[in-house]
Amino acid sequence: MIRLDKVSKMYRTERIETTALDNINFAVEPGEFISIMGPSGCGKSTLLNLMGLLDEPTSGQVAVDGRTAERLSDREMARLRNERIGFVFQQFHLISDLSVLDNVEIPLLYRRMSGRERSQAALAALDRVGLSSRTRHFPSQLSGGQQQRVAIARAVVGRPKVLLADEPTGNLDSQMGDEIMDILESLNREEGTTIVMVTHDPRLAERTHRTVRLFDGRQVQ
Amino acid sequence: MIRHALRLIWNRKRSNALILMEIFLSFLVVFVVATLGIFYWDNYRRPLGYDYRDVWGLEVDLRGEAEKGAGFQESEIFERLLREIGSLAPVEAVGAGFSVPYENSTQTESSDESGRLLTYEVNPVTEGIGGVLKIETVRGRWFEPGDAALAWIPVVIDEDLAHAWFGSADPVGRTFRKATANAKERRVIGVVRDFRRSGELSATSNYLLELWRPTAREATLRNILIRLRPGTPAAFEQELLTRLRGVARDADFEVRTLAQRREESFRSRLVPLVIGLVVAAFLLLMVGLGLVGVLWQNLIRRTREVGLRRAAGASRAGVRGQILIEQLLISTLGIALAMILALQLPLFGVTRFVSPEVLAAGLLAAALTIYLLTTVCALYPSWMASRLPPAEALRYE
Amino acid sequence: MLGNYLKIAVKVLLRRKFFTFISLFGISVSLLVLLVTAALLDHVFAPHAPEVRSDRTLGMYMISMQGPHASGNSQPGYGFLDRWVRPMAGMAEVETVSIFRGAQRRLSYVDGRRIESYLKQTDGEFWRVYSFDFLEGGPFLPDDEKNARAVAVINETTRQRFFGGAPAVGRGLTVDGQRFRVVGVVKDVPFLRFLSFSDIWVPTSTSRSQAYRTDWRGDFQAVLLARDRSGFPAIKRELAARLRQAEKQMPERDLFDHIYGGADTLFEATARALLSDGMRETHPEKLLALMLTGMAFFLLLPTLNLVNINLSRILERSSEIGVRKAFGASSGALIGQLVIENVVLTLIGGAIGLVLAAAVLAGINASGLVPYAQFALNFRIFLQGLGIALFFGLLSGIYPAWRMSKLRPVQALQGRPM
Repeated sequence: MIRLDKVSKMYRTERIETTALDNINFAVEPGEFISIMGPSGCGKSTLLNLMGLLDEPTSGQVAVDGRTAERLSDREMARLRNERIGFVFQQFHLISDLSVLDNVEIPLLYRRMSGRERSQAALAALDRVGLSSRTRHFPSQLSGGQQQRVAIARAVVGRPKVLLADEPTGNLDSQMGDEIMDILESLNREEGTTIVMVTHDPRLAERTHRTVRLFDGRQVQ
Repeated sequence: MIRHALRLIWNRKRSNALILMEIFLSFLVVFVVATLGIFYWDNYRRPLGYDYRDVWGLEVDLRGEAEKGAGFQESEIFERLLREIGSLAPVEAVGAGFSVPYENSTQTESSDESGRLLTYEVNPVTEGIGGVLKIETVRGRWFEPGDAALAWIPVVIDEDLAHAWFGSADPVGRTFRKATANAKERRVIGVVRDFRRSGELSATSNYLLELWRPTAREATLRNILIRLRPGTPAAFEQELLTRLRGVARDADFEVRTLAQRREESFRSRLVPLVIGLVVAAFLLLMVGLGLVGVLWQNLIRRTREVGLRRAAGASRAGVRGQILIEQLLISTLGIALAMILALQLPLFGVTRFVSPEVLAAGLLAAALTIYLLTTVCALYPSWMASRLPPAEALRYE
Repeated sequence: MLGNYLKIAVKVLLRRKFFTFISLFGISVSLLVLLVTAALLDHVFAPHAPEVRSDRTLGMYMISMQGPHASGNSQPGYGFLDRWVRPMAGMAEVETVSIFRGAQRRLSYVDGRRIESYLKQTDGEFWRVYSFDFLEGGPFLPDDEKNARAVAVINETTRQRFFGGAPAVGRGLTVDGQRFRVVGVVKDVPFLRFLSFSDIWVPTSTSRSQAYRTDWRGDFQAVLLARDRSGFPAIKRELAARLRQAEKQMPERDLFDHIYGGADTLFEATARALLSDGMRETHPEKLLALMLTGMAFFLLLPTLNLVNINLSRILERSSEIGVRKAFGASSGALIGQLVIENVVLTLIGGAIGLVLAAAVLAGINASGLVPYAQFALNFRIFLQGLGIALFFGLLSGIYPAWRMSKLRPVQALQGRPM
C-alpha cells in the first residue's frame, strides 16, 4: 500500500543540518492498522507527512499504491492525495468559516461531482461518525471530540484506501480519545481501510496490529 | 540594536521588499506634489514687480476699423483710443503693451552678447504702462515722453536680467542690438524691480521692456491697461465701451480686470495642484492603512518572538522601540532608493525650471512625510504587541 | 465548487473587518479616480448631444505652417478653409462641410445688468453636422450666412438671462453693440463639447471685420460629415492632396512653404496636437498606449498595497490551505480559489467606487466649475470600470496566490512563514 525505501529527511538552515529521519524502510500492507510510536521529536510526524505526500524526502523513495512520488507532477500528486489518502490531524484543522457539512465536502470539491452527490456523500460520512444532527453547525460550536469526528468524516468521505492519523487523540481527554479510537477501529474492521496512526500513548498502540518504533530518526524495530 | 534589527529585516526580505517598494513609490508621489507646492509657495512670497489692483485690461482688435479704408493706420486709431481713455474722469493712468500680466502668451528673444546665451521675455510697451502698473525704477530712469524721437530704442530691464547679463556692473547706458538684420540699436536706460508678468506663482524670469513706437510695418499693440481711481464702479465699463465706440465703431473690444485674469491664472495652476494633493492624500491614507494591517499581521505571526524577548527581559518600551526601529530602517531604505532616483533629475535639466533649493525642500518634505506616516502606522501595532503579557505571547502559537 | 469558493470569500471578508475595510478603501478610491477620469474622457471624445454624429465626423482643427526659418501652430483661418476644405463637400463620400469659429466671450447690457456670454460664429451647414435640441424656432440657414442676416440661435440660459425665460423667437438682443434677431432656442450645450459649445450662435458673415475672409491662420475650424465611416480614408487622402496643392499658393511664401494638418477624428486630432512634431502625422495608438501606461502607473501603488494586504491575510489562512492541499487540491485549484476571492473583493470595491464616482461627478456638475457640465456615468464607462476592476483584482491576487500555492502542505499546516 505504502512503501518507504531508504527514506531520509534532513532539515537545512544556513548553518545547521538536522537529521529528522535516517534510512527508514518499511511497508504498510492493505488492511493493516499500524501505529508509529516514539518520544516527541523523534520524527514520527515527519514520517507520516512523507507517507501522505505532504512533504518530500531528502533521499530515498516513497511509493503510494505502487506509484513513486518523486516522478509525479503537482497535479498527479494532488490527485493521489485526493483519491487514495485521508488525513486526521492532532489540531483537527477544520476550516472555521465553513459549516460541518461544507468542511466534510472539501475532498470531493476536487473531483468531478455534482453538488447533490457531494452533500449525500458528506451526510453519509457524518452519519458514520455519529454526527448527522450537527451538519449546519460551525466548528467553533462543537466540542473537541466532535470536531475530531468531523475531521474523520472529512478524511473518509472520499473513500480513501489509507487513513493517516497524526496523534488524533492528542488534544482530547481519555474518554473522547477512546471514542475516536473506537471509530478508527471500526473503520479498519468493517470497511478494510488501512490506517497509520502516530501516537505516544502505549495504551492506544496496543489496540493496533503492529507498532513501528522510532528513536532519534531511526527505526528501532 | 540597529544591527540586530537590520539582520531581522534581511531575514524577512521577501515580505519587506514589497513594503519597501510601496514606500519607494509613495515617496515619489509625495515628492512630486510637495515640490510643485513648494515651487508655487516659494514664488508667491517673492515680490511681483507691479500692482495689479484697480487695473482693467482692454483687448482691442482694430482690423474691422482699419478696413474701412479712409487711409487710417491702425496705430493712429490706437493712439486716439489711448487719448480718449486718458480723458475720462475715473482713469488715473493709461498705457498699452504687447502682452499683459497674467496672460499666457509670451514673446521671447535670445542674445549671446554677454558671452553666454540668455533668453528673456520682450514686451513693447508705451510710456504710460509704468504709471498704470506702478513699476518701481531702482536704477536709471523710466521712459519719458521725448524718448520716441530718439535715434536708438530705449529699453528698461528687470533686476533679474540685469544681474544675469551684467553681473554687478551698472547696466545703464549699455547698448546692444536685436539679432535680426538692420535692427536699431537698443540702449538700457533703467532697471526696474524683478518683474514677473506671468504672476505670483511663476518663477522669476528675465524681462525686458522696450518702448513701442508706432510704425506702419510692425504689428500694433493689442492690450490697453487702465488704472482706475479706487472705488470706480463696475458699471463704468459700459460708459467706457460707449466712448470707445465713438472713436472706433467697428473695432472689437473685450474688458477684463487684471484681478479677474489673476484669479483665472491662479485657478489654472492651483486646480491641478489641489487635485494632485487630494489624490496623493488618498494614496497615502491607503498605504498607511495597508501598512497598519500588514504590520499587525506580521506581529501576530511574531507573537512568539515578542514573547521570547519579553521573557528574556526586554521591557515594553524595548519591544516597542525595536519594532519602530525596524519600520524606520525599512522606510529609510525606501526613501534612500527614491532619493537616488530623484537626484538624477538635474541631469535631465529640471533645474532650469525649478531651483535646486526647491528640489531639495521637496525631497526633505517628502522624506519627513514618509517617516511620519510609517512611524504613526507602526505605533499602534507595536503598542499592542508590547502590551501582550509574555506568557500569553508564548502560548499564542 | 464556485459556490464553495464564494461562501469562503464572503466569510473571510466578514471575519477580518479591518482588513476588508482597508482593502475596499484602497480599491474603491483608486477606481473612483480612474472612473472619474474615464467619465471626463468619455465626455470629451464619445458621441454626445449635440455631437451625436462624431463617429462619422472628421475635422481640421489645427494646422502647422513651416518654413526654413520659422514655424507656427495655430487654428486654420477662414480663407484657407473656405478655399481648400469647403469644396470637399463635392466628394461622394462627404455629406456636408461646415466652417466655424471658436466661441468668444462677449458682453451685453440689459437694463444696466452686465451679461457675459459666449458667441460662436458659424455657417448654415453647422446645424446639419450637429444635432441640437430646439426648444423653439429653428437654425439659421446657409442663405442667412450668405446674406449676412443678423439672426441668432441662443441657448436656454441666454433666453433666461435676456428675456426672463419667455419665448424669444422673433425678439431682438444686443451683443457687444450688435443687434440680432432670435430665430431659435436650443438646450444648453456642455462647455467641454468644444466644437459646438456656445451661448449664442450667429452667422460668421455678421462679423464687424471681414478681414477673416482671407486669413490662412486664424481661429476657425472645419468639420466634414462623412456619409459613412468607410469614407474616412478617401477623405483623408483627398485633404492631404489638397494640402500639397495649397502649399504652392501660400500667402506668406517667403516665410512658410509647408502646411501640415489632416482630417482627424477628435482623438486623432488630440494625438496629432500632443505627440507629433509640427502636426505632420497622427498616431492615436501611441496616445492610447500612453494613457494606458499612465493608468497602469497610477494603479501600481494601490496594487502593491493590495498585494501586501493579501499576502498577510492569506498567510493567516495557511492552515486552511494546508488542509485543502492535503485533501487533494492542486496548486492550480488553489490559485483559482484565491484569485476568485480577490476578484470578488475588487468587484465589491469597484461597485463602491462607481457609486462614489457618480457622487463626485454630480458634485462637479453642481459646482458650476465647468459651465453647463453634464458629466455622467454610462454603460460604456461602467464596462470600462468593470474591466479595470477585474484587471486590478487579477493583478493583485495572482502573486499572493502563487506564493501560497508554492508552499508545501506541511509548512502550510504548521503555519510557518514562507
